[in-house]
Parts: sequence; structure tokens; C-alpha cells
Amino acid sequence: MRHRRAPSPGPAGALADALAAEYAAVFAYGRIGVRLADAARSAARDAEAAHRARRDALVLQLSAAGDPVPADKAGYALPFPVTDAASALRLAVEVEERTAAFWRVALARTTGADRDRALAALTDCAVRATRWRRTAGVNPITVAFPGRPG
Amino acid sequence: MVLTCPVARGRTTPHGREFGYSRRNLLRAGVLLALGGVAAPLTGCDPFDRGDDPDPAPDPLEPLAAEARELAARHRAALAADPGLAGLLTPIAEAHEAHAAELARLLGRATPTAAPSPDATGAGRASTLAGLREAEQGARRSAAKLCAEAPAERAALVGSIAAARATHVEALK
Repeated sequence: MRHRRAPSPGPAGALADALAAEYAAVFAYGRIGVRLADAARSAARDAEAAHRARRDALVLQLSAAGDPVPADKAGYALPFPVTDAASALRLAVEVEERTAAFWRVALARTTGADRDRALAALTDCAVRATRWRRTAGVNPITVAFPGRPG
Repeated sequence: MVLTCPVARGRTTPHGREFGYSRRNLLRAGVLLALGGVAAPLTGCDPFDRGDDPDPAPDPLEPLAAEARELAARHRAALAADPGLAGLLTPIAEAHEAHAAELARLLGRATPTAAPSPDATGAGRASTLAGLREAEQGARRSAAKLCAEAPAERAALVGSIAAARATHVEALK
């Protein structure tokens, strides 16, 4: 029997970390969407679909390469309770910022097509975070270094 | 050295010395050749090169830094012409300035003063924003291209700058 490897410092480990972040994002959007209405709800649905698509692509890629695929969890701890539209929007911003941070880390650990995909994912997260800040009335709506901690 | 002796001995004309074929001259030539042969591979054919060339080959990130400075200047000029855009454009100008500063630190060079941007006065707000959006879109593409080619230790910074420029396109909509 083959032992599962711990996430490596190479591309597969970075992609596995990004996958775990995408699982958590999909979970969080399930909580966010129900607290929103109209255009914001529809935006949450689109964002959730985008994270699902990235999740599915990562699962396929990692399994095809024979790399360890982290398992999804039944639930993820949210940083604060989502009780209304305001907290839902705040969480949406945070989910995008956190997911962006994992994709930013993946940039340094990937090359070629993997890095292109990581940059596309980082960019999508950053743009969605900007949209959510605008919806939430947060100013400024942009940050200087998307995905960079602090 | 070996080459000089047979050549000198082989000369029979009494004018050989006048024409510079003396053993001493040939020895000098041999020494110079030997020095040149050793020096060339080490210093790139310049015996006075001490490795402190004031104009080294440009770093691939230089254009990215120049672009950040230009974009900052453009946003500042638009702000000066239409102060009502301060809430929107100030954070974007500051982001470009932060990018320029970070890149200057990485490149180990002082940040040159941004070139003055064409005066945006007279352009309507909509066309000013459309122009800035277009500039950000082009800048995002150039940063994305550099990110793809960057060594690992630079990829995160360059990718973050590309993503920031994409958020500026979004903010300017």
C-alpha cells in the first residue's frame, strides 16, 4: 500500500493548498448567498460557481498526476458568524482575500501553464474582492498587493 | 614566446630591426598577446573593467517599474484636473506608487521622479476614466506576461501587481 505523501514544497503541494482554500470558499459562499438578495445574491452564486470550477479542475489535475488530493471537509470554521447581509458581504471579501493569498503563494512554486492558472485565479479573487467591497460600501475598494498577507 | 625566436632568426634582411622585427619587439608583442588572451575572457575585452559599470543591462522588471511610475503620474494628473475623483483615484495612484517603490527596492535602485503626465484638464470625466481604464488593462497584460517569465522569487510580487492592475480596471468601471 502506498503511503499518502505530505504536501510537498513543489507545485503539487501549492496546488493542494489552493484546493483546500477553494473547498473552504465554496463552503463559505453557501452561507453567504442565503443572506443576500437580488444582484448581490446572483453575484454570490457566480462566485461560488467560479470557486467550484477551480476546485474541480484542481481535483482532476492532481489526481491525473498521481499527486495527493486533500479531502473536502463537512464544514469549515468561519472567522465570524454570518447573520445578515452586512456580515455576509464582509465574509465574501475575506474569503476572496484568503483564497487569493493561497494562489499568490502558488505563483512562486509553479511554472508555465500552472503559473498562468494561478495568476488567473489570484486575479479573479482580487477582482471579486473589489466588487464585494464596493457592494459592502467599504473604502477603498482596492488594495495595493492582492493576496499579500498584512 | 616559442613563436618569436624562429621568426626573428628567420629574418635575413639587415632592415629587419628598422621594421620592428627585433627580438625585443617580438617579445613585447608576445607578452601583450598573452595578456590579451588571458584578460579577454575575464573582463569582456576591457582590461580596465572593474565590474562597476554604471550602465548594466536593464533588468526585465525595469519596464514594469517605469509603467508603475507612469500610471501613478497619470492618476495624479487626472486627480489634479478633477478633484471630485479623489475617492476613486487616490488609492489607485498610491497602489502604483507602492508598486514602484517595491520594485525599486527589488532592483536596488532609487525611484526616479515620475515623468510629468499630460494635463488631463479639458477631458470629460467619462473619457478620463475610460483612458485610465485602457491604460490599466494594457499594464495588467504586460505584468501578467512578466509574471509568467519571472523567476520564482519574483513571481508573487509581479503577479500581485498584475492582479492589482486588474482590480483598477474593475474599480474604474
